[in-house]
Amino acid sequence: MLLSLMIFIPLLGMIAVLLLPRESEELIKRVTLLFTLIPLALAVALFISYDRSTAGTQYVVNVPWIQAFNIQYHIGIDGLSVTLLLLTALLGPICVIASWRNIEKGIKAYMALFLLLETGMLGFFVALDLFLFYVFFELTLLPMYFLIGIWGGPRREYAAIKFFLYTLFGSVLMLVAMIAVYLNSGAPGARTFDIPTLITLASTEGHALHNLNFQIWVFLGFFVGFAVKVPIFPFHTWLPDAHVEAPTAISVILAGILLKMGTYGLVRVNMAMFPQGLDFFCNGMGFWGNSLALLGFINIVYGSFCALAQTDFKKLVAYSSIGHMGFVILGLSARNDSGITGAILQMFNHGVISAMLFLLVGVLYDRAHHREINGFGGLGTKMPVYTGITTLAFMASLGLPGLSGFVGEALSLLGAYDKFKLLTILSTIGIVVGAAYFLWTLQRVFLGTLNPKYEDLPEINGREILTLVPLGILTIVLGVWPNFAIDMFRESVTSLIGVLQVN
Amino acid sequence: MVVFLISLILLCPLAAFTVFGLLGLGNRSFQRQDYLSTAAMLIALVCSFLLLGEIAPDPEPHTVNWISLGGVTFSMGFYLDSVTAIMLIVVTLVSSLVHIFSMGYMHGDPRYPRFFAYLSLFSFSMLFLVVSDNLLGIYIGWELVGLCSYLLIGFWFEKNSAADACKKAFLTTRVGDVGMFIGMMMLFTKFKTLSLYGEGGIFALVASLNTGDMVWLSIAGVLIFCGAIGKSAQVPLHTWLPDAMEGPTPVSALIHAATMVAAGVYLTARMFPILTETSSLVIAYIGGITALIAATIAIVRFDIKRVLAYSTISQLGYMMLGIGAGSYVAGLFHLTTHAFFKALLFLGSGSVIHAFHAMHAHAHDDENDHAHDTHGHEHDDHALVHDHGSEIPPDQDMRNMGGLRHKMPITFVTMLIATLSISGVPFVFSGFWSKDAILGGVLGRAMEWNSVHHYLLFGIALCAAGITAFYMFRLIFMTFFGEPRNQEMHDMAHESPKSMTVPLLILAVLSLPVVNILWFNENYVQPPEQPHLHAPQHAYASPDSKMDEARGTLSLFGVSEAVAAEESGHDTHGAHADDGHHGHGPAHTIAMVLSICAAGLGIFLSWLFYHKRTLSAESVATTFRPLYNLFWHKYYFDEFYDGVLVALTVWKARLFAQFDGTVVDGIVNGVGKVTRDFLAVFIGVFDNRVVDGAVNRVAEVTWAIGGRVRRIQTGAIQTYLFVVIAGIVLLILIFRAL
Repeated sequence: MLLSLMIFIPLLGMIAVLLLPRESEELIKRVTLLFTLIPLALAVALFISYDRSTAGTQYVVNVPWIQAFNIQYHIGIDGLSVTLLLLTALLGPICVIASWRNIEKGIKAYMALFLLLETGMLGFFVALDLFLFYVFFELTLLPMYFLIGIWGGPRREYAAIKFFLYTLFGSVLMLVAMIAVYLNSGAPGARTFDIPTLITLASTEGHALHNLNFQIWVFLGFFVGFAVKVPIFPFHTWLPDAHVEAPTAISVILAGILLKMGTYGLVRVNMAMFPQGLDFFCNGMGFWGNSLALLGFINIVYGSFCALAQTDFKKLVAYSSIGHMGFVILGLSARNDSGITGAILQMFNHGVISAMLFLLVGVLYDRAHHREINGFGGLGTKMPVYTGITTLAFMASLGLPGLSGFVGEALSLLGAYDKFKLLTILSTIGIVVGAAYFLWTLQRVFLGTLNPKYEDLPEINGREILTLVPLGILTIVLGVWPNFAIDMFRESVTSLIGVLQVN
Repeated sequence: MVVFLISLILLCPLAAFTVFGLLGLGNRSFQRQDYLSTAAMLIALVCSFLLLGEIAPDPEPHTVNWISLGGVTFSMGFYLDSVTAIMLIVVTLVSSLVHIFSMGYMHGDPRYPRFFAYLSLFSFSMLFLVVSDNLLGIYIGWELVGLCSYLLIGFWFEKNSAADACKKAFLTTRVGDVGMFIGMMMLFTKFKTLSLYGEGGIFALVASLNTGDMVWLSIAGVLIFCGAIGKSAQVPLHTWLPDAMEGPTPVSALIHAATMVAAGVYLTARMFPILTETSSLVIAYIGGITALIAATIAIVRFDIKRVLAYSTISQLGYMMLGIGAGSYVAGLFHLTTHAFFKALLFLGSGSVIHAFHAMHAHAHDDENDHAHDTHGHEHDDHALVHDHGSEIPPDQDMRNMGGLRHKMPITFVTMLIATLSISGVPFVFSGFWSKDAILGGVLGRAMEWNSVHHYLLFGIALCAAGITAFYMFRLIFMTFFGEPRNQEMHDMAHESPKSMTVPLLILAVLSLPVVNILWFNENYVQPPEQPHLHAPQHAYASPDSKMDEARGTLSLFGVSEAVAAEESGHDTHGAHADDGHHGHGPAHTIAMVLSICAAGLGIFLSWLFYHKRTLSAESVATTFRPLYNLFWHKYYFDEFYDGVLVALTVWKARLFAQFDGTVVDGIVNGVGKVTRDFLAVFIGVFDNRVVDGAVNRVAEVTWAIGGRVRRIQTGAIQTYLFVVIAGIVLLILIFRAL
């Protein structure tokens, strides 16, 4: 019940916003904030009451939905989903606050779409029925399309369409794979979309789903769908465009949550449901056996080098996301304790840190109305607080120990080294290049002599600090005491590894 | 008690920084941050002394589980042995003195409170590194001190040269850190832990490795050492340290001379038990080569701080050489003596620079608020002069100095003491003893193993010792003796205030052999065992079989294990060398005589060149032009890195980005276009019949929501919505069919 409430309260909020008159903008914003704060409050309750000692799904609701196809409204959370659910609930109100002043037109539609988006994201992370999962997956797509396409920058239409097309391409393949799984799940009438059931079936000796060849193909179908979201090279080119054009808050959601939907899907479906298929792609033997880790490596190095060459602040952060998501892929492909834990931590931490980065870029853009890195210089003297927070976020993102980014990266690498020695060693290039582009940016924007054009740039204001402080605290706390997060999903990881080993 | 004291040592500076960080959010700062930070450091200093009494004879780490996974646990904890305790005292002592010195030196700086907050953060990180009982903790402290170094080198970030230098420092050390991290991954994969001590620790597990793993262990050892190469500025990653002199001088003293750069030596010493012959030799060579290269570069520098920077690199090379040659105690001994005399040299140079600053202030400004101008003036000069990074600010240029001994007597005397110490002038200066211990250790191993490598290394070290004496006295002669070269600057110079001279005096006392007490007590610091380091086959002394026999006999007679261990220790890892500083053994005597000769020769030549002027440095430079050029251009390391490595990296980045924009994205756009054209035809067939109504309805809703949707509704959106719906329809059709 708690979960259903959490998912659908933003939807309720959307209806409420739509009923309000277009002119009362302040009211619309407050109502939206309220309807994002309620899920956050519920998330806090969830954080407190969630039972960390079990790998089983909790807060389960399972009622028939479309009985003709044995589709259920089956939701519940385990360690992985609760982590990302908390992240989503946290970023919701932060994004609303970040949109407070800089959405100039159509605030009503914007907020309504945002709330719809939040429902889609929350629902995606709790869905335990493949069909429901897919519905929520698609549900995030439409609001995102409009949010970028209407409120974005100059090339918003191109970016929105590209984003939409890419995701759609992925989700069509996913749909096909999903149907294939459904059709193979049993005799007519006994077929199911239920994820836990499918996981059991796929591990059952002699079942149609327990078949290497079959698993490889459906693995690929789902994989492409999720790879677009992550994004994994070569399906990543929508990301820089979408980020550059999207308004600040939408970039935050995009990097913070939408990318995680891809990696979450990889764990929830590809890993748990098709362990044989997974094994084929990361058993370390031959080309295919190294392919998943190879993609992780390419993401890390390719993303980092591309970031180094960027002169648009936002594009740089976007490419850095590609690099950082590579650590998730690398960690997952290791299929061991430290690798998977590192990957999940990295998902969460990247959500927090990249949200900070995009918020920070937004702060600067709102003042200077451009994002050209070389067009600044010496802002450190003018905006010491802003500089300090940016330095914190950069350091967290480049993996400075003591801040959260390090833990995920280090654990992923430690885990991956066990299985893929050469690829992991080569991936560490990303650590150096990551430091290079962030420090270079820091220098070009904040250090050196002050660019006289920005003599009277105002310092970051209270509202903006309010959006950054919770994220900054999380960055420090999880860097100092990662067990806060790991406690949530330790058992789930152990049980996932159990599933992987049986097969 | 141990845990309490160590926690207090760590928390005090951390709290001082936290105050700054929290207030900083409101763009405010605590005006007495200097008192707060200094007080925190003094508490830590007292606690460090108290800890001396708490060292257990057989220390166990105090740990907590930091990251617990299903199968593996990463712990964090403290480990206190005599080496930790000594390091704690060195760090807290130098840090406290630098805090006090900075109150004078940084007075009036617009970011004065921030400076002290950074010093606190640095002290916390450094102390965390020192007390950590495991590699992960060391790595965390390691990177955090790197961050502080970055922040402090770039403290005057308006100067472009400072902004360049801090970035360079961070990135160069990070290259080394990645090597270290790879080494950690190797160790972790093998042992499933990163803890060093205790039963399940790496050191215990390493001992049980067999000879088949020696290549692996050597590689792991060298990789861990890579971190030390970066942090301790060893060749080839040394180039960041001279540039780091862009930071305020107290920072150079604390971070880039006494403590942080010595962390690499500390790490290497900590990893002593995993070193094999090969990795030890690599370390010794890197150290030896660094000692020599840096010393030769120092000869031709005119910037007083750069001379000291190269001398630091050179001395760090010495320490590495000592540890690589098995002289564990000697290496750490030199670390402590160097920390004090080098901090003194830097603070002394700071005192000189401060004197010249003040001159400008008096000349251009009324006397109050002069230090504020101090720093402003430095910027102006840098902005003008510092275009190529190789220009020297006038207040640091030794060619503007001379005859300062009368003007600044305290600075002169204290710096002279430090110089005598670093040059290895015998008996009454601490540096002599520690440097001699290393030289004796290297020669000892050379004789014991009859190893050509170690004879060669001894020769290198001896040369470096002579050169060190030469350039250090060159510095003293050029700065404090002779006639003033710049009369205007000279007239204005004056002795520094008490807050600066008192730390100088304390450090001067510490450059006398008082600190040696800790090391003279034979039993105080014991070198750990090196289970995988064996004398080569052709060595004269103690073939393995004989040694085992001896050990067997001893235990037969019921002699305690400890004695047996120590005996074997003497034989296997050259504890002769470690006895070096007690003044025993032929190797030590030879080394001592030779090193006194080298130092004497260096000082004598320096006197001839720079004081008596019977020899002309210019004519020698002309005679040996190619060699002089090599030294002057610092062996072209910077040219190579900037011109080749950095350029290649940037080029590669641009290439990748271009590839991404044209090839990858080009394919995507192409596919997108083809698909869209195809779908347009597709829709033409099905649109009217199947989904028209649905599409229109959805479109209506979206129009209502967006209002502005129409502009992007170029028909494309219908296509996409169509595909979604088509997908679902397809799904339903398939289900129907089944």
